This record gives sequence, C-alpha cells and structure tokens, in this order.
Amino acid sequence: MTNQTPIIEMRGINKSFGAIRALQAVDFHLMPGEILGLVGDNSAGKSTLMKVLSGAYQRDTGDIRVAGEDVHFKSPHESRDRGIEMIYQDFALCGNIDVASNMFLGRWPRKGIFIDRKKMEDDADRVLKRLKVDVNSVRQRVESLSGGRQQSVAIARAISFDPKVIILDEPTANLSVMATNRLLETMAELKAQGVAQIIISHRLQDIFEVGDRVTVLKRGRIVGERYIKDTTEDEVLGLIVQGDRLEATAEA
Amino acid sequence: MATTTLDDPRPGAVRSHSPLRAIFGSWEFGLIVFMVALYLIGVWANPRFFGSADALLSILRDASRFGVIAVGMTFVIVNKDLDLSVGSTVALTSSVFSLMFAPQFNDMGPWVSMLIALGVGLGIGLTNGILVTYLRVPAFIATLTMLFMGRGLVLGLTKGRNIAYTEKAEQHLLFTIGDTNALGFSNQILVMVVIALIGGVILAKTRWGYETYATGGNATAANYAGINTHFVRIRGFLFSSFCAFLAGMMVVGQSKGVTSQDGFGAELIVIASVIVGGASILGGRGRVIGSVLGAILVVLIDKVLREGIPTTRIVKIGGEDIVVQAMAQMPPGAVPAFLGMILIAAVLIEPWVVRRRLIARIVARLRGLPPPLVNADGVAIATTGTHGSSLAASEVHATGLRKLLTYREVAAVSFMILLWLAGFILRPDFWAGLDNTFNLLLAFTEIGLMAVGMAYVIGNGDIDLSVGAILALSGATAAFMMKKMGADPATAAVTAFALGTFAGMINGFLATKARLPAFVATLGMFYMARGFAAWFVAGRQLSQFPESYNLIGRKVIETLRFYGIEPTPGTFWFNLFNAISAQTLVLFVLAIVFGVILWRTPFGYMVKATGGNRRAADYAGINTDRVRFLSLTFSGMCASLAGLVNIAFFRSFTPQAGVLRELDVIASVIIGGGSIFGGYGSVVGALAGAAVITLVRALLSLQVITSDGRSFVMPQNWVNVWIGSILILAVLSDIWLRQEKLLLRLRMRLRGKQTESAS
Repeated sequence: MTNQTPIIEMRGINKSFGAIRALQAVDFHLMPGEILGLVGDNSAGKSTLMKVLSGAYQRDTGDIRVAGEDVHFKSPHESRDRGIEMIYQDFALCGNIDVASNMFLGRWPRKGIFIDRKKMEDDADRVLKRLKVDVNSVRQRVESLSGGRQQSVAIARAISFDPKVIILDEPTANLSVMATNRLLETMAELKAQGVAQIIISHRLQDIFEVGDRVTVLKRGRIVGERYIKDTTEDEVLGLIVQGDRLEATAEA
Repeated sequence: MATTTLDDPRPGAVRSHSPLRAIFGSWEFGLIVFMVALYLIGVWANPRFFGSADALLSILRDASRFGVIAVGMTFVIVNKDLDLSVGSTVALTSSVFSLMFAPQFNDMGPWVSMLIALGVGLGIGLTNGILVTYLRVPAFIATLTMLFMGRGLVLGLTKGRNIAYTEKAEQHLLFTIGDTNALGFSNQILVMVVIALIGGVILAKTRWGYETYATGGNATAANYAGINTHFVRIRGFLFSSFCAFLAGMMVVGQSKGVTSQDGFGAELIVIASVIVGGASILGGRGRVIGSVLGAILVVLIDKVLREGIPTTRIVKIGGEDIVVQAMAQMPPGAVPAFLGMILIAAVLIEPWVVRRRLIARIVARLRGLPPPLVNADGVAIATTGTHGSSLAASEVHATGLRKLLTYREVAAVSFMILLWLAGFILRPDFWAGLDNTFNLLLAFTEIGLMAVGMAYVIGNGDIDLSVGAILALSGATAAFMMKKMGADPATAAVTAFALGTFAGMINGFLATKARLPAFVATLGMFYMARGFAAWFVAGRQLSQFPESYNLIGRKVIETLRFYGIEPTPGTFWFNLFNAISAQTLVLFVLAIVFGVILWRTPFGYMVKATGGNRRAADYAGINTDRVRFLSLTFSGMCASLAGLVNIAFFRSFTPQAGVLRELDVIASVIIGGGSIFGGYGSVVGALAGAAVITLVRALLSLQVITSDGRSFVMPQNWVNVWIGSILILAVLSDIWLRQEKLLLRLRMRLRGKQTESAS
C-alpha cells in the first residue's frame, strides 16, 4: 500500500472559528478503494474536516492533494467535479421534485434548451437497479419515500457520476436496522468497484463491519489511527474517550 | 401507490398511467370546471350581461393583465419568495412611459419610451432580488416597501395627475397591444397566451425551471448541487418585474394614457391567482397554466360579484325618464375585502385540501374504504439555528460607555435626540414650542400604541401587516355605530375594540392553527379590514360624533371640564392636565404594563424564546402557538385602540386613516432594536423607534426657512419614498450591523485577525 499514491492527502490542516481552534495540524490520507472510518466525540472536528475537504469551509493553512495534485476547492460542487461526493446527514434532497431530477440535481442532461427527461429517467433507473434500490418509479416525488429509500436516492446521486471518493456523514443515524444492513452491503459493493469511502459515524460496529482503517479525532487533533484487522472496538473507544493520554503512554 | 383525484401541480409527478385520467384528475381541470359553473351562475343571474360573447371576451381581456403578471409571479412563488411590488411596478412603468411619450412632457418616440420604462421595471426587479438574496431582507418586507415606494414615486413623478395622449397614441403601432383586433378580441388576450406559453415551457421543461423548483424545494440542497440559488431567485424577481412592465404597457395600450391608480391592488389579485392556480405559498410547487387559469377565475369571481345583480336605474334627461342598465355598484371596499378572503382561502387550500388529500379522504369515507395515506410533512428539514443575537462575550465584559452601547435600544434613542436637535436647528422659532411638541406627541401616540403590540409580534418572529387596516376598521366601526346606528359612545367604542381584537384573533388563528406564515395571514387581513372599513362608511368621511366620545382624543383638562371636576386654573394640576392629552396617558399606561411584561415576566421570556428558536421553545414545553396567538391578538387590540383614538382626535373618520401605518410601525420596532427574524424586542426600543419615525415625518413636512428668507417644504408626494427607504435601511442595519456584526468583522480584518462569518 505504501507505494501507492493516496487518493486524498491532507497535510497540516488548521481551521479556527474565531477563538475556537476546530482543527489543529491535522494530517489525513485515504487510499484508493479504501473504507475509512472517521470517529470521535461530538465537536471533535470530524464534520469540519470533511467540510474543509469538500470545499464547504475554507482551511486557514495546510495542503490538500487529490490523487497527488494540489487543490483548493471554493465550494462543494468544485470538489464534485474532481470526483469527491458528499452524502449529507439530512440527504440534501428536494422533496418536491421527483427521484430522477433529484439524482441529477443541478446537472440535468439537456437536449437543446430542454431537459432530456428520457435520458435522465433511463440513467436514474439504471443506477438504482445497480444499487438494487426498489423505488416504484423514478417519477415519484422524493418526499413520498421512506427515510431509507431517500438515503438510497442520495447515494444513487453520489455514485451516478462515477466518483472516486464518497464521504458519508452519519449515514446510519436515521435508518432502521434493515436499511442499515442494506447500506453496509452497498458500501462493500462500491468498494469492490474501487470507490474509496469515508464514513463518519458514532456506531463503531458499522465501521468494524465494512471498514479497513479507522482514524480518531479529538479536540481537533488526530489522536490515533488503526487498521481494523489489528484493533478492537474497545481500543478505539479508549482512543475516542481518552485520546491524548493513551497515545502518550503508548509512545513512552 | 394510488393516485388521488387532486394531484399537486409539479413536474414529473406520478400521475395515473392513463393520460385521460391525468387530464381530468388535474388541479387545472378542476379550476376549469369551477369556472364554467361560475359562469353559468352568472348567465342565470344576469343573462343580459353574461349571455353575450362580449362579456366572455371582456372578462378574458381584464384577466389578461393579471394573467401576464401571474406568469412572472409563479416563478417568484415557486422560488419560495413573494413579490408584493408588482402593482406598483405596473403603475410606475406605465407612468414613466407616459411621461416620456406624452407630447405635453418629453414627447419621445414610443420605442425609446418603452425601453426607458423597461429599464425602470427591471431596476425594481433587480433591487428586490438583491435585497432578498445577498442582503437577506425577508421578501415580503423588501417588496412591501417597494410597493409603497413605487406608489410614492408615481405620485411624485405625475403629481397625482392623469396623463392622456389619445391623438399621438393613434399614430403608433405599439398601442395596438391594447386594442381589439380584426378577429374581434383584444390583443391583450394574445399577449397573455404567448407569455403563458413561453413561461410555462421555461418552468416545466428547461434548466431554468428545474433550478426554480430545486431552489424553492430545498435551497440548501440546491446550493450543494452547485446551483447558484441567489441568481435563480434574482432571475425570478426580474421575470416578475418584466411581466409587470408588460402589463403596464397593456394598460397604456388600452387606455392611451395613465392614471395614478393603475395597477392598484394588483399584487393581491395576482398572488391569489397563483395560489388558487395550485402553487404553494411555501415554495416548490406551482405551474404557469394553473396560475393563468387562477387569474381568469379570480377576475370572473370579481365580475360575477359586480354584475351578478342586474339593476336598472331611471335617469331623467330633459324631463324624460330613461331606463339605464346600470352596473350594480358594489359598495366601495367590498372588492378588496372579498379578494383578501379569497387570498386566505386559496392559501389554505394547498396545505389542508391538497396535501392532506381532503377530497380523496371524503370519497373514501363515503365509499366505506380505508382513507388514503396522508403525507402532510415534506422532507424539508427546518434549521435549528437561533435568531436574535444574545450578548457576545465581549459585550458581557464591557463597562461604562461601552456597556451602554451594548443595549440594542441605544441607536434609536440617539437617533431620536439627533433628529430632535436637527429640527431645533432648522426651525428654532417653532420646533421647541408647545404647539409643535403637542402635535409631535399626538402623532407619536398613534405609532407608539401600535408599536407596543408589534414589539410582541416581531419578538415572536412573526409580523403583522394589518395594523394600519385594523386601525381603520376599528375607527370605521365606532364611527358607523355612532352615526348610523345611533349607539352611545361607550357601546360604539367597545364594539369597535372587540371587532379589532377579533381581527387580531383571526390573524392569530390563521398563523397558528391553520399554519399560515404570519405575513400571508396578516396580508389577507390587511385587505379585508381596510375593505370592510371602507364598506361600513361607504367610502365617505363620517364626523360629528358625540363630544363625550371625542374626549379620548383631547387634553385631559377637557375631560375633567366635561365632567365638571376641573382644577382651578394656575394650579399645578391644571397645568399638568392641560399639557397632556388623554391618549398620551393611555399610551403611557399601556407601555408601562406591557413593557414590564415583555421585559421581566415569564410571558415575555416565552415570546423571545419562541422568536429565537421556536422548535427549541416547543421542546422546552412552551406552548408557542398560544404565545403567538396572544401576541397577534394583542397587536390587533393595540391597533383598534389606536383607531378609537384616531377618530376621537380628528373628530371624524376618513377611509385614509392608518394608511401606510404598518410601515411606520414595523420600522419603529426594528429601529428600536427588534430583530426582523424574531427573538428580540422591547417596548422601550419600540417607543424610541416610534419617536424616530414621528420626528422623521415631522422633519420631512417641516417648512424650512432658508437664510435669504424663502421657505421650502419637501413635496409631500415624496414622503412615502423616504419612509420606505428608512424601513429598508433599518432592516438592513439590523441584519448586517447587529446580527452579522459587519463593523466588528471589518475592524478585526483591518487588524489582520482571521475571522469567520457566523454562518
């Protein structure tokens, strides 16, 4: 793995909100096809780090490289253009619009000045089939779907543009057990297709089921990094809670 | 999933698979059926009018101007915005065109004049759009202010006179836009059809339309997806203004001239049309075809009301009796009152009938089937942000002068002092005199009374646009009771007060139980109350009330004299009672009682919590519906009190009472530290703000004597423009200086510190 270029590499990221230092000298990397769990307490800086990556926030200092290339995203859709998709906790869908139009939100295919509905619906249908998501019709309004199906639409949107990286922010927070299991299956399948994924979650068991590696943040710093196969849930939990101290004793 | 007979208008919705059912099951088809039925009622009631083909064509012609504006308004409403300025834009563009074109003024060519008018129209749209998006002013405040400022500009430019140019107009092709064509119908209908087709295709089939639905449905999601929602919304306002400009040209084309009343109240008809046509006031839903049909329906309702009762009148001409088919004269005010009700009814249809599938549920109940699933709440996730800033850390630790500056009321009090000094410098001979002070206090009382109620409403995060109209309603009721019903003053006053309070309760009910945004509920009440007021007094001025009633608006000494308990002249009590008026006393008591309630009682804290974060307040067990209901009711009470005082002071009621007062009152509360997004408000601040507005108005009408002995008064037609500007400025500085701390951030940046926006 060491001779491969990371798909994402962040070095020395600092970010402050007024007097609060949300991120301090954070180094972070993600390899192609890897599933990385990003964990930590509330206000540890997980979401901030991901928003800095996607361009929703601007970093104060530090470098970000995507596939070895320096980037400076000014808004989320610039990172989308580079193959980084974020799935938001509240899915960021328009309930009043149908499934197909939501999947191509802002990137609707066109035929002349008109929207090419046929192409859009066909493409949407294909992606949903690939994800094995069962929505009656891609013409259905999103607000008439259940929470799990809405999330499937959000995931379908993310993968319909062949991304290299998908960031999932608390994807299982609003899901039933069944829907969670289906989501984990989907993630494994995407991994098989070579898509790298970052999953922000409080639920360690989910990360241990599909993840390759886990990175722990505490108070804006990285306090630990473990390969799933070499660690236990208890150890990671210890890192989340005690953070620095455990790390300090390990080094000594 | 079963489809209902009433499906929401939206693109690509799942409808029944049969195309026939799709047509007959649509909202628009329902509208057409309703229209045909209504027209048949008209034919039955007044065959002489509705029986002819001309009637149908004239209805379509009258509807076409509103239909054209409705096309633009559909974009705005689907965007989750609102444009109240369209009626003014019609008037302003047609006035500007007329001023340029008319031979008695600038005598320009028709196309140049039209381009200038178009520029003015698009300027309004752009101003609205920028205020609402980049400057974050709520759409109803920005466009309501533009409504009043536009009217002020029309009056200022035309000086209230009509402009006609029939002869010159007949030489130019442009004016055929308003004429009847060779096929026997007005070209205006053609314009409507063309605009509706273009607008309909753009909204339903193109990227611009899809962006509009996405922005109205979930602006955050649209933003994440790379859609520039600011631009989409500005585009909506530009569309709307463009359509209003076209309607202005249609007005000019038809009447070959312009009156300052053109387009009056058009915003109400158009918004009602769009909502009747199936759009949601909460954004994300609506279709152009529905809006245009809605416009025709609303005009048809209006016509049936006007023409439905055939009357004949006998007119004596030269000693001969001639029977004239008279138009049934609706009492003045009945039409706006009715349109206000249509607006409220239309806004209620969407959430209660369509979204909750009322009809499908009734059908299922009748057939004995299980009711269909109701999906009343969308996925749109409300933000949990808190409005109304609390003290920042730097403010808590401030001492001395800096501590004083942390009070939000300080700005208003300083302005008040500065403005008073300005008046004193301009007219030292007159300003500080007893007469002027007394007059200032009286003008202050009316605004102040309503500002006390408004402080509660705005503190809650709501708004009450109906205070001026409720003032008129209460005044008209009291006047009507005393003059026409012969009621004694006490009964009249109590009835009027009760009616005004009831209007406030309706506002409260609509905003809480019926879940309407407060600005829509009170906008409906704005037209209804003013309409009823004009209706009661039949558009005339009523005066000569019993003198015991007028005492409410007199000096206290006159009340005492009336009851024969006057103190001896020259004593302290005499001077005191001679200096203050009864109404000032009323305001004083009201302000102290309700000022303390808002400042330091649990109810006051509930008001601010509700406005700050309604969801959090709900979770904490505060009955926010009750708090908002009571506040809106209280605002209605204050307004009706102001109405009682108003007619007592003037000893008469005119239908003009309280016009534009809503702007004054809202501006007072905002200047006095209230936040337009809710969460803060104090009575002291509101009263200081009311004083600022009073002084501004007094200064604007002050006769200034220049050093060379000539005197100068600002043309009064321009006053509305100034008051509108002040309201916008107050809201802008609330948002940008108080909430976003623009100055602080600027200072930090100058010092080279890294800062971040609060968002």
